[in-house]
Amino acid sequence: MAQQEFIIDRYNPDTDESYQESFNVDVQPGQTVLDSLNAIKWEQDGTLSFRMSCRHAICGSCAMKVNGQSMLTCQTQVDAAAERGDPIRVGPQGNQNVIKDLVVDVTKFLDQFERAETWLEPYEDQDPPEREYRQKVEEFDHWSHASTCIHCGACYSDCTVAGVDENFLGPAALAKAYRFVMDSRDSKRDERLKFLSEEQGGIWDCTRCYMCVQACPKDVLPMDAIMELRTLAIEAGHTNNHGVRHHKGFTSGVRKRGRLDEMMLPIQSVGIGRLITGNLSAHKEMMDYTPGAIRLLKTRKLLTIAQRHGANAEGREQIERIFDEVEAEKHHHDVDADAFGAEFETAIGGH
Amino acid sequence: MSKYAFWPGCVARGAAPELYTSTLAVAEHLGMDLVELEAAACTGAGIISDGEPYLQDVLNARTMAMSEQMDLPLMDICSTCVGVHRLAAEKLRDVDYRIRINHHLAPEGIEYRGSADPRHLLWILLEDVGIDKINSLIKRPLEELNLGPFYGCYIVRPERTLDFEEHPTRRNSLEHLIEILGATTVTYDGMTKCCGFPILTTNKKNSLTMAGTHLNEAQSKGADALVTPCPLCHLNLDAQQPDAAKVIDRNLNLPILHVPQLLGLAMGLPPEKLGLTRHVVDTNRLLNKIGV
Repeated sequence: MAQQEFIIDRYNPDTDESYQESFNVDVQPGQTVLDSLNAIKWEQDGTLSFRMSCRHAICGSCAMKVNGQSMLTCQTQVDAAAERGDPIRVGPQGNQNVIKDLVVDVTKFLDQFERAETWLEPYEDQDPPEREYRQKVEEFDHWSHASTCIHCGACYSDCTVAGVDENFLGPAALAKAYRFVMDSRDSKRDERLKFLSEEQGGIWDCTRCYMCVQACPKDVLPMDAIMELRTLAIEAGHTNNHGVRHHKGFTSGVRKRGRLDEMMLPIQSVGIGRLITGNLSAHKEMMDYTPGAIRLLKTRKLLTIAQRHGANAEGREQIERIFDEVEAEKHHHDVDADAFGAEFETAIGGH
Repeated sequence: MSKYAFWPGCVARGAAPELYTSTLAVAEHLGMDLVELEAAACTGAGIISDGEPYLQDVLNARTMAMSEQMDLPLMDICSTCVGVHRLAAEKLRDVDYRIRINHHLAPEGIEYRGSADPRHLLWILLEDVGIDKINSLIKRPLEELNLGPFYGCYIVRPERTLDFEEHPTRRNSLEHLIEILGATTVTYDGMTKCCGFPILTTNKKNSLTMAGTHLNEAQSKGADALVTPCPLCHLNLDAQQPDAAKVIDRNLNLPILHVPQLLGLAMGLPPEKLGLTRHVVDTNRLLNKIGV
């Protein structure tokens, strides 16, 4: 039996005192971090508070930060968490207020599901089926990864946007929204896509940092779901926002020169149309870029930006041909659905 | 001489020219032969794939096919590029998908066979060049410096595409480099988080709050500078630093170095050759500290 040191973030709400406390625990091979927390609570300090229930990675209660990353403590073995005999650090989930020790207030996290109305809205003009609402297997297969969420909050805890913006819907609620957008039994697909595109803290606020994909213990792939929502929202015509203008401006630059056009992209993101029609907030956004542009001028970086370095002539010709072919193919076949299909298969099945 | 198919990425040829010049300077010094992929396209950076994931995959299959045809390993110098290349390589292991994508490469006479293993210069330094060779070329150990790593998301996530198990040094690649060069690593929470750059044009406040928070954290933990393998992070952390300071209402003055700039300094290359005069946040104080 080996000894392992745990350094645990404590918080006492009665005295409003935060501190770290070290415990040494005898560990057996295969013992989990949650087993160790229980050992501490039962044998060393009964006041240590944390959430747990099933101990089988199903209930989602015991997600905490282990060495800075959120994970289910019941699914994490001590051997895997201990690097080179270092102490294992256990802390509460991030991006939420701590109630006591390792217990956080999950209200904010759960409220996001309500905001995104993540429940089935059946077609009202149809009589309810005699038995259950059915979904085709092949349809379900496409989004089944997003249905495996256990609401443990690990993704929200590590989300870099939720860390700076209380208003962000967050990876779990967005993945759940995706699940209903994709469900053929749901009648609100378009309203959902509109809401998710236009709402402050919706799909276009994600930074694509992959924290949620890394943290999720159930391979929900929340970020991939958010990215697919973006594509679906664009296809559905919900395009009047900065995110879509940024995507379209970026893509058109690559089409023309084979490379990102840093000269044009800020203007395209603000929106040339908005600027021409005298939209005041668009002009203010443009003004906001001025100090940054002056700094780039002073460091002579504006010179290399203005050169608009592209692919060589031969490359540009091929790149433009590829853009044309993919565009033409789009009218015949849903190529982007195939691309996502390949991504989900490799992400889920391959590992 | 080790030879690489070299994809510089768009930003190194635009807003971060000092990354391009310092890469070439360091590669020459190390005896690396870089063959630039002049005909290749932008990786799409995850932005083309917002609306057109298939198109982005075709563009990246093409770049990887070029490196296959040259029979050279593919080298990136941007966390975003290497991450997007590796994500594309992962998807293109699906044979049916690869066949479809290859239809678009056939007119150019190339085919992606699925063998590319895109790597960042930072990994290549540790895996191919090696610690011994780097050690033998250090002229100016950076012992006086406390350096904070700033990774850029895609060189650390998603782990499934990065082969961390097979190459354990990749997980802490920046810390390894910092220590090889004699400097001390300053660790802080933000070092593997998002710099905020991807949402700079869509949500400036969130974007700069992220950059400012990480900069402030590293600075208050005593970092003399940050070092990053990602030119997009560099843009938000360096060029946007004055605005980030305003958003979080703190004084920030933290130089941000690109990986080859740091290595070049330790190897005794002159600061002008490494483009250290082209930063928004002045690097002189840092250079004085190491006696340059």
